[in-house]
Amino acid sequence: MRNIIVCVKVVPKAENVIFDPATKRLDRSKAENQINDADKTAIEIALRLREKNGGKVILLSMGPPLFENYLKLGVAMGADDAILLSDRNFGGADTYPTALVLSTAITKIGDYDLILAGEESSDAALGQLPGQIAEFLDIPQVLFASSVKFEGGKLRVRRRIKGGHETVETSGPVMVSVEMGAVQPRFPNFEKMKWAVSGFHLKIWNSTELNLREEVTGLKGSLTLVKGLIEITPSKRKRVFIDGNVEEKSSRLAELLKERSLE
Amino acid sequence: MIKKELWVVVERDGSEIEDVSLEILGKSAVIAKSSGYSVTGIVLGTPEDGVVRDVIRYGADRVILLKHERLNQYSNDLYVKVLYDLISSELPAALLVGATYYGRDLAGRLAARLRTGLTANAINIKMDEKGLLVFGVPAYGGKIMAEIVCETARPQMSTVRPGTFSKVFDQGKKGKIVEVVPEISKVQDRVKVIDRKINKSKDLTKSEKTIVGGNGVGGDFSLVWKLAELTHSDVGVTRPLADKGIVPRELQVGTTGYSLKSKVALILGVSGSEHFTSGIRDCGTVISVDIDKGSEIFNHSDYCVVGDASEIIPAVIKKLEGKI
Repeated sequence: MRNIIVCVKVVPKAENVIFDPATKRLDRSKAENQINDADKTAIEIALRLREKNGGKVILLSMGPPLFENYLKLGVAMGADDAILLSDRNFGGADTYPTALVLSTAITKIGDYDLILAGEESSDAALGQLPGQIAEFLDIPQVLFASSVKFEGGKLRVRRRIKGGHETVETSGPVMVSVEMGAVQPRFPNFEKMKWAVSGFHLKIWNSTELNLREEVTGLKGSLTLVKGLIEITPSKRKRVFIDGNVEEKSSRLAELLKERSLE
Repeated sequence: MIKKELWVVVERDGSEIEDVSLEILGKSAVIAKSSGYSVTGIVLGTPEDGVVRDVIRYGADRVILLKHERLNQYSNDLYVKVLYDLISSELPAALLVGATYYGRDLAGRLAARLRTGLTANAINIKMDEKGLLVFGVPAYGGKIMAEIVCETARPQMSTVRPGTFSKVFDQGKKGKIVEVVPEISKVQDRVKVIDRKINKSKDLTKSEKTIVGGNGVGGDFSLVWKLAELTHSDVGVTRPLADKGIVPRELQVGTTGYSLKSKVALILGVSGSEHFTSGIRDCGTVISVDIDKGSEIFNHSDYCVVGDASEIIPAVIKKLEGKI
């Protein structure tokens, strides 16, 4: 198999993200980060495909330099290479310029059969980037996949559809987004981690290397704009606590359920 | 010249129109009425006449039927091609699609080809004083709603979360029907479907009573099904359990699953992350059982029981069966 490129996003844990109402941007500086779970699933699928069919697994991410360490975690999981697309101009991007930057880098890497990504990121949960990347690369797409097999030069993918799933076949190259939890991602290997930190050289490409003008990337290249952020206040609930032992609690619950059943 | 038209891509399965498409038509009709816009429903394939009539009765002033046998089944390559051709010649102000598997598969690629902005999973749509659509989108698991606009490109595109808006039916409504036969003889479908398996699962947005199980239920999920049977409820599940494959993902509740509108929801063994609680916001009465007194779920509940769900569920079952 030729190259398998996995698009990876580093996401902050939702609970420690702060919103700045003045800039309408998110302050992620105090947040603990992690590789997006669905992207980890994608890395695992890529590694299993490589183990069976050969080829190279290359991780690709757009973001600030601090993402480096997370990509190295992916290398410690077993990826052959990792490239970070990092440039001040790339900041504040919506999915359109993000897809542009990623697809430009994918074309620069070249020689690929498969582009993988998680179905969506846990922070924005848009899930639209894979389709946009596929369009920029002019390759077919299969989204929400739970299994990817490479057989006789063709890719056979099982994907989620309404109320069930489909098995589809396509000739590479193809863009596939994978469902979080489709396979269990392996842990980073300790020996490989040492190498990822000290021996491995992570490539960083900026807008010059990708030959992308400032106005097509980042905030300037974005087609949507966040006008405002509104805190969603949960509706007022009664919050009546039912006390007692298991017996008493269950009796009260059974009563409540019966009462409500008659309504 | 951009037309003051709101377009809705109608998703259907044979002669059955997806509820989310009807919900978007309803919402669009409300927006259109107060702003001087009109609503166009886009139907693809060769459906029965009733489908097109219903699109009008549910809110469209006009239907454009992209008539071709090959469009009866969703195909990314074909749908993106025919919609791109139609939209780039007609120039509507907005294009809305249900945030279903097909709708989400379609929207990203179509938006990129149209070179326009796309918003996902809208839970609120309004038009501001300048005629710009403002899409309300849940972020960070629904604790924040981001208001997103697309100022410079057209059409303004968004997918819309199922179960968010109300359907509006008007039996006597009249509308125009325009048939277009798209030229797709040369377009190849690069993704070939070789097998399809559908398990008819329940649409939880219509469920009156729902029991949702989470990690705290313990090992035996069959007890949740049993309790549901006794109380004539439907069963939903949190994302972690869906990820484990214990219950089909079709039954997932929360940001990436169903938003419940049940009169009663019983939530078992769920700690209440924001991803989850956004999915029970619109329920009538919420009853929760969780082992941790400090669980966030209790802030979203009317009746709260602190206890081990794996102990309480069988006890409640016994009570309901009248054994004690």
